[in-house]
Amino acid sequence: MIEPSLALYGDAFDQVEKHLGDLLESTGVRYCLLVDRKGFVLSHKEALWAPRPPALDSVATLVASNAAATAALANMLGERTFSEQIHQGEQGTLYVESVGDMALITLIFDSSVPLGRVKVHTKKTTLLLADILKDIKDVPAIEFDDDFGANAASLLDDLLG
Amino acid sequence: MSTINFAAREINCKIVYYGPGMSGKTTNLKQVFAKVPEQLRGDMVSLATEDERTLFFDFMPLDLGTVQGFKTRFHLYTVPGQVFYNASRKLILRGVDGIVFVADSAPNRLRANAESMRNLRENLAEHGIDVKEVPLVLQINKRDIEGALPIEMIRAVIDPKKELLWQEAVADKGRGVFETLKLVSRLVLERLSKGE
Repeated sequence: MIEPSLALYGDAFDQVEKHLGDLLESTGVRYCLLVDRKGFVLSHKEALWAPRPPALDSVATLVASNAAATAALANMLGERTFSEQIHQGEQGTLYVESVGDMALITLIFDSSVPLGRVKVHTKKTTLLLADILKDIKDVPAIEFDDDFGANAASLLDDLLG
Repeated sequence: MSTINFAAREINCKIVYYGPGMSGKTTNLKQVFAKVPEQLRGDMVSLATEDERTLFFDFMPLDLGTVQGFKTRFHLYTVPGQVFYNASRKLILRGVDGIVFVADSAPNRLRANAESMRNLRENLAEHGIDVKEVPLVLQINKRDIEGALPIEMIRAVIDPKKELLWQEAVADKGRGVFETLKLVSRLVLERLSKGE
């Protein structure tokens, strides 16, 4: 394993969902995602009024790759990391903040939402999320029964011939 | 190791297409994108230069279906093959679950194949991982090219101990593309089922 994996489940997942929901409400952003450093979505929330979000897989992948590239640049400049990234357009903004070494929180919002408010609330949430993620670093062993291989092979046949 | 999201009951596996520049990595992904039913794959994201050379990566999610209650997805990536983009290649290898090494059969690309394989070993080693620990499949591409190198010659420089599963391909015509993906997917899922 190159990068630690996160298995978010049970109580930890519920807590993360609640914190993301609170953050969404307190900031007024459209979308709020927690993604791991490999670019997989761990949890996401969207405002009820928001239009359909872009493909979250793609967003997560690009955010994680961008963060990895930014971290590599930070190392070259003698920094351990750059903890936040802001991309501002005419209509909207993407804000990304590190949640420890394991994950990234990503908020997408309209230009009417003040960036300062987003930063203040996100930094508070980040501390809470980091505490939760710290406790779930060890991925529990998942036990598949003997049929797993056969089922997976059959699906592969269906998909790829 | 694959990312398992128990709450959403999802297993996500990252497969990376590696190999020298112009060997056909992006072409493999484009073929998969074109031939897999739309409802089973997401958008293809390509970070490429104006002349369509991969700058950072190509990406496409692919749904396998539900295995024992877990929605299983493959995230397919390519790396930029050009030598000077090594920093990007290293980043893409983070969290990799399986690798397809796409070798070029063109007569003047034997050295490029060998150097790319060495580069893969080095980049994995920098992440603290032995190339033997990752499911790896060799795709010998461009078999229709004039003067194509003999398969045994390509295997001799990339896999001298003949340990890797391999597949011939003509990726731009779709030959061998699904077969390769199936080989590596099977290895990744076997590893997952053993809890490795």
